[in-house]
Amino acid sequence: MKDIRHLLHVAAAFVVVIIGFLIARHLVVPKSFGRIGHYRADAVDEIKALPLRYAGEQACAPCHRAQAKAKASSRHKGIRCESCHGALQAHAEAPSSLKPAKPKEGEMRAFCARCHEKNLSRPAKFPQVDPREHNPGVACSQCHPPHQPK
Amino acid sequence: MNRRHFLRTAALAVAAFAGRAVAAPLAAAEKFFKEPPWRRKKPYWGYAVDVAKCIGCGRCVDACKTENDVPREPFYFRTWVERYVLRRTGEVSVDSPNGGLDGYPAPREPESIAQSFFVPKLCGHCENSPCEQVCPVGASFKTVDGVVLVDRKYCIGCRYCIQACPYGCRYFHPELQVADKCTLCYHRITKGLQPACVENCPTGARMFGDLSDPESALTKFRETERIQTLKPHMGTEPKLVYKGLHKEVR
Ligand code: HEC
Ligand code: HEC
Ligand code: HEC
Ligand code: HEC
Repeated sequence: MKDIRHLLHVAAAFVVVIIGFLIARHLVVPKSFGRIGHYRADAVDEIKALPLRYAGEQACAPCHRAQAKAKASSRHKGIRCESCHGALQAHAEAPSSLKPAKPKEGEMRAFCARCHEKNLSRPAKFPQVDPREHNPGVACSQCHPPHQPK
Repeated sequence: MNRRHFLRTAALAVAAFAGRAVAAPLAAAEKFFKEPPWRRKKPYWGYAVDVAKCIGCGRCVDACKTENDVPREPFYFRTWVERYVLRRTGEVSVDSPNGGLDGYPAPREPESIAQSFFVPKLCGHCENSPCEQVCPVGASFKTVDGVVLVDRKYCIGCRYCIQACPYGCRYFHPELQVADKCTLCYHRITKGLQPACVENCPTGARMFGDLSDPESALTKFRETERIQTLKPHMGTEPKLVYKGLHKEVR
């Protein structure tokens, strides 16, 4: 009889520990954990909801038809508007809220050189110039319209 | 026919039928696990880089930092561009000043250079991703569409995953105190936009698309070009593939 009491004590202790563990687990493990896999399913929605900064080129064309049309038939057709003008989601939503940057005359040579400065490491077939020798002192845009370079 | 003979024949017959009954599901299971996951799930995202098109302008690095609020200081990158310089002497050097964010100065001693090129780097969203496997709490995971993400609320900041990535694609976010990495701009691709780095690449060196779509440009690229992954011997099976990779690229 005494032996069985012993066992019952141990069994009761086990039950208490197991229930305690289940309660703690219920409180600690997030609700959506394990719904899809071994992770918190809500995290996927949280990451999806992060804010956009770049609107994407298709957003610009409806309002800036002239630039979009010029660029579409030029050697710069592969470059998206925002590569040169910066992240513009806010501007595309409300044009007056953010005035987009555009390279000024004085910065133009450095701006174009970022991609076009002669550099041995670049693919040889990419059009490159040495800005120190190629028509120095004049803004590149004077001769090459940025949206339709020739 | 005696009893022993009967029992033996019956046992053989049962074994033969049992074998057939198990073989079919086993074959199906084997096929299921050998087949790439993008045959099963739509969409399933992948990425490709054409090394010969990269001009090292760093627009991608800048766009990534802007889109994802990655700290501006060096050492914090979700994507970066490396420059390889192979000298005629056989010496190989790699540099990536500020991840390529500010572009690259011309390499020194041009006469001695045999070859030089740029290699954009980013997370490969590996099928067998070591970073995901070592996470002790389940904060690193792969979504059903194949993107490896970090749960910022659940990450305990132990940095195991940063150690585990053989490609160095993770960093410790100094403000949030969690591991951070490329999400393929999950908030953009789920809205039908391109990742910021692809959006801003002027030469089309970076390519993003749906592997489960047999007509997608990415699938066509993978089928028509000779492609490679980085460190294939690690068995991580990155979904990021390169065209025109030099053997010196690690
Ligand atoms: C809803 C219409 C609309 C959309 C969409 C839009 N813009 Fe604009 N944008 C304007 C208007 C209006 C102005 C003139 C605002 C001003 O001058 O203050 C402007 C001005 C600009 C300027 C500056 C012009 C200058 O002379 O300084 C640039 C550059 C520009 N937009 C680029 C873009 C790009 C790139 C996109 C695509 C991400 C875009 N815009 C999307 C309406 C739009
Ligand atoms: C190669 C870089 C580049 C790309 C790509 C580019 N722009 Fe520009 N954009 C410029 C520069 C440089 C200027 C300033 C021109 C100047 O001041 O002479 C400018 C000026 C502008 C202006 C001011 C008006 C004007 O024409 O000068 C608008 C509006 C504009 N861009 C919109 C766009 C839109 C929309 C796109 C995409 C279809 C686009 N840009 C693509 C470089 C670029
Ligand atoms: C983001 C990178 C980038 C920037 C910035 C950029 N370009 Fe380009 N440019 C390109 C690419 C890419 C091409 C197309 C090359 C090709 O077709 O192989 C190109 C082509 C050209 C060409 C045609 C070359 C030829 O052989 O016909 C000219 C000229 C040119 N750009 C001038 C400019 C000027 C001027 C600026 C500054 C306003 C500028 N680019 C800014 C990337 C850039
Ligand atoms: C005075 C006018 C003028 C200015 C300023 C000018 N260019 Fe040019 N550029 C030309 C002419 C003309 C050509 C075609 C003939 C040649 O190759 O020199 C040309 C050719 C190019 C080419 C094509 C080279 C090739 O190999 O296909 C590029 C790229 C280029 N320019 C970029 C620039 C950049 C970048 C700037 C500013 C740093 C600039 N240009 C300033 C007139 C100009």
